[in-house]
Amino acid sequence: MKPLRIVVADDEDLARSLVREYLKDSIDIEIVAECRNGFEAVKAVTELKPDLLLLDIQMPRLDGFEVLELIERETNVIFITAYDQYAIKAFDVHAIDYLLKPFSVERLGEALARARKKIDRGEPTTTAALVAEARPPGTRADRILIRDGGDVHVVPMSRIDYVEAQDDYVCFRAEGKRYLKQQTLADVEAALDPARFVRIHRSYILNVDRLARLELYAKDSHAAILRDGTRLPVSRSGYSRLNTLIG
Amino acid sequence: MHPILENRQRLALYLLAWIPIAAILTAVLKRGFASWAEAALIVLPMSLLYAFMCLSAWYVCLAVPMRDQTVLRLLTTLSIASVLSSAVWFAVGAVWTLSIEPWVDFQGLSERYNTQFTPIFLNGVMLFLLAAAVHYLLVTLDASRGVEKRALELQVLAREAELKALRAQIDPHFLFNSLNSISALTVSDPQGARSMCLLLADFLRTSLVLGAKQQIPVSEELRLVEGFLNIEKIRYGKRLSVERSVDPECDGCLVPPLLIQPLVENAIRHGIAPLIEGGTVRLDLQREGPAIEILLENPVDPHASEKVLTGAGLGLENVKSRLARLFPGQANVNVSRDEGRFQVRLRFPCIKLGET
Repeated sequence: MKPLRIVVADDEDLARSLVREYLKDSIDIEIVAECRNGFEAVKAVTELKPDLLLLDIQMPRLDGFEVLELIERETNVIFITAYDQYAIKAFDVHAIDYLLKPFSVERLGEALARARKKIDRGEPTTTAALVAEARPPGTRADRILIRDGGDVHVVPMSRIDYVEAQDDYVCFRAEGKRYLKQQTLADVEAALDPARFVRIHRSYILNVDRLARLELYAKDSHAAILRDGTRLPVSRSGYSRLNTLIG
Repeated sequence: MHPILENRQRLALYLLAWIPIAAILTAVLKRGFASWAEAALIVLPMSLLYAFMCLSAWYVCLAVPMRDQTVLRLLTTLSIASVLSSAVWFAVGAVWTLSIEPWVDFQGLSERYNTQFTPIFLNGVMLFLLAAAVHYLLVTLDASRGVEKRALELQVLAREAELKALRAQIDPHFLFNSLNSISALTVSDPQGARSMCLLLADFLRTSLVLGAKQQIPVSEELRLVEGFLNIEKIRYGKRLSVERSVDPECDGCLVPPLLIQPLVENAIRHGIAPLIEGGTVRLDLQREGPAIEILLENPVDPHASEKVLTGAGLGLENVKSRLARLFPGQANVNVSRDEGRFQVRLRFPCIKLGET
């Protein structure tokens, strides 16, 4: 049997050493990397393409959910947590396996065996869709994460000027830079603060703080002029949404 | 419960009030009788009797409570009750005069009594109405006092529950992560595992014992903080370092239990843990005249999302409300964040044991 190649991500040295020790006699498991934070985890997944990631939720820089959001399509994940009420509830609802600290070697073995079965069948062990439910209520993400190879750009939402749909990607414009991310515009719209961002067109979401003025350029058709002079099309329904937001 | 009978003091006052009433009644009726003595012989026992009869006005209060009753119904009930009781009273008086007539020297006593029907009856009605008014007043007073008392009791209960919850607060993250560390140490470093077990047991026991108290000397709180930090140092290793300085003048100052420890916990969880390289937590205790000043400083990730800080805010709200309750108007909590440092400054009066 081909060994399962796993990456362990936890910021506590002792917690990682425990997993190492539990797995040291398993011939069908190979730990290919140990990561101390979310950035390292994303990098390790990109470069090493492991079969499975053991992912602690509470980590510096990027937490486990943010890591999942970035690497979801590339690897399988088993979450590890000491205590996260909301996450555990969401995991149970979605039948997602997780380990509660402290866990036994048997429990770890079970989780790995189950993950291996899913991987062999080609099923993902988890999906990023549960992340919204797994976070405590009222904590909306306030930054956008964009992957650039093994690196991760963290863009605070307040810096985003507008978002544009481009085929299978969305393009975030922030402070003159462009960041491409594989996502739908509808998903982006759902994640952004509705008090600040408005869908002005089928292909555009605008940060209203950047709006300088609106121009009528044809019957029923407007253009938004941004502070930096950029012109964006505004559809009829986008115009009415914009009007409700800015009054 | 009857508002007058249940309370001796009220009953005494009520009966005392009947003495001038009896005197006035005697004066009024004296004109109809032959002498002061004759009037007194009839009026005094009758007054005593009526004093007790009027206590029955309470039943009117029960039958027709002041709230949600129409004025008409109230007036009808009161008139019927007062007319009835006054009539009964007059009749008893008539029996009394008739029965004592053979024993006293006053001729035609009973006859003269009967001619006094109108003043006696009218007085009876008035007195009953007066008594009813007093009863209504007392019932209302008791009810409002009861409400006040219950509100106060509820407030006290809520406060106690809140304090209990605050004290019992041991972060489950901390507990389970510590247990996980012990589990990790058992093979690689059995001695270390044992000492961490002992540290954890000591910390939990101390926080339970201290949490049950109202106030503790600051040195005890600092011992608890020390125990907590020793555990966290095992978990975080080199990432966590601590600097502290304690002014000896602060010795013996009383603080609410588990005031500083949760702040240190916050500093590590929201300050040190999100930093890849960790950092230093600084704890300073200083005496500033009559006040004690506690300063806690930790680094924060400048890129941290705002939600990290709202979590820290919740613990701070607890500290603020506890200090405000203990030292109304005299406690000060100051929070600042700049250039990657997060600072909490507490200032409140230093009261030593036996100074309260």
